[in-house]
Amino acid sequence: MVRSAVRLIKIWLMVSSRAAQSQLLSRWAGVLFLVGKIVRFLLFFVFLFMILSSTQNLAGYNREQVIFFYLVFNLIDIMVQFLFRGVYQFRFSVVAGNYDIDLLKPLPSFFRPVFGWTDILDFITLIPLWIYFLLFIFSHHLFTSSTSLVLFLLLFINSLVLGFAFHLFVCAVCVLTTEIDHLVWVYRDLTNMARFPTDIYQKGIQYILTFTIPVVILITVPAKALLGLLSWQWIAFSFLITGLFLWGSLKFWKYALKQYSSASS
Amino acid sequence: MNLWVFASMKKYFQLSKLTLQEYFVYRLNFVLWRFRSFVFFLTLLFFWLAIYGDRTALLGYERAKMLAYVVGVAFLRSFVLGSRSADLAGQIRSGELTKILLCPIGMFSFWLTRDVVDKLLNLFFTFLEIGIAVYFLRIPFYFPQRTETYLFFALLLVLALFLYFFVSFFLSAFAFWTEEIWATRWLFGIIFLEFFAGAYFPIDVLPGWLQGMINLTPFPYLVFFPLKIWLEQLSAATAIKGILICGLWLIIFYRLANLLWQKGAKNYGAFGG
Repeated sequence: MVRSAVRLIKIWLMVSSRAAQSQLLSRWAGVLFLVGKIVRFLLFFVFLFMILSSTQNLAGYNREQVIFFYLVFNLIDIMVQFLFRGVYQFRFSVVAGNYDIDLLKPLPSFFRPVFGWTDILDFITLIPLWIYFLLFIFSHHLFTSSTSLVLFLLLFINSLVLGFAFHLFVCAVCVLTTEIDHLVWVYRDLTNMARFPTDIYQKGIQYILTFTIPVVILITVPAKALLGLLSWQWIAFSFLITGLFLWGSLKFWKYALKQYSSASS
Repeated sequence: MNLWVFASMKKYFQLSKLTLQEYFVYRLNFVLWRFRSFVFFLTLLFFWLAIYGDRTALLGYERAKMLAYVVGVAFLRSFVLGSRSADLAGQIRSGELTKILLCPIGMFSFWLTRDVVDKLLNLFFTFLEIGIAVYFLRIPFYFPQRTETYLFFALLLVLALFLYFFVSFFLSAFAFWTEEIWATRWLFGIIFLEFFAGAYFPIDVLPGWLQGMINLTPFPYLVFFPLKIWLEQLSAATAIKGILICGLWLIIFYRLANLLWQKGAKNYGAFGG
């Protein structure tokens, strides 16, 4: 088990290195993408400040806490994009018939579709973001105890697993229909709602964001864990929902693979 | 003469029909695209409803006017920012452009026809979706009180439609020289465009210095200015000034798109075509 995990990590590092080399070939494109990511981050940041200067607080959260939620959103969102960027290229692979070759390799069938491409630009963005995040939480004394920190890290990993489950589900839809371009963007649009604490939304919306595409568990729960605002029921519930989503996605993926007819090749 | 006009119109009808049929080849993708647009609208709506809470006014906007802004954004995204001319870049790189070059149709007319079909189709569904949402969620919507507002709005809307078409065409035409067209389009045609056009939030909620910078670009005239006119938050003089500036940007981008197209067509190698 451990040996096969190490082997997969080694392969992932190799695939990521190739993806990075390919991306760095066109430096100008890299610069443009980086500028875009930074501009988007800063503009939302300024917008957040403008709202907070008018409202003073959001759903009972003060300025520092709202900024903290925004930073956690960015960390998880970028991390998920960084790791599972392969999904955005999977359609082409299925339509062109290249996925047949991937299926012949001694790798889990979902490895290429989900982990087949790693975005180095997201990684470059993540480094300063993590540094700023750590400086921010320490300078504003936002985490209450070391237990909160451990819990945050566990729930952060839980979010990545949940992100993986959703991306795998999208890949399964792609195998069945070859049409996923917009499905993954629906996920992105919904997760964008968690830029701000999801408590600001009405109860009905919060239920949707917990049970459909569980944005609350993906982003709000880890943030609340670090702030020490999470009950043990919510912690258990978060792991349970992720487990269910992962189980459902793996089942659906297996079903989709059985339907794969390799028509394109 | 009449026969010539009829023959000329016929090819545009045929092109419109083909464009429409393309959407229904990948039906699930189209449904998901509409669903995505609807989700985008709802997320923006619920966000502002949450921010307002019990407040009647915030950031210089009354609640009803901000909700009207959000509804307006949904319509203008379909009508102004809906476009197919982005596909031009891919066709240049793949060599598929050759097929169009051999057809008896002008390049601008070809893409404009496809754009119009795209806009009308999306507008139809937007009316349906947003209409249902507005009805069931009982969203208060602001209608202008003055007649001239409708005139200014319609005029700026037409200018904005053409301005976006030429901006989009201009960005796509870079594909004649570079393979990195997606990065250019993503930065200028998505990030800058959506933020600076006011498609996420009204630009005037931002600090003055940033507004000043954004107003130097053509983007605010695509969404923000038309909606400010609709909400009657601009004087007649400012509205006319906005329309004139938009017209000026339109001329600039028409010339730039034309120039890039002329030069690019000479440079076109039809690789893979």
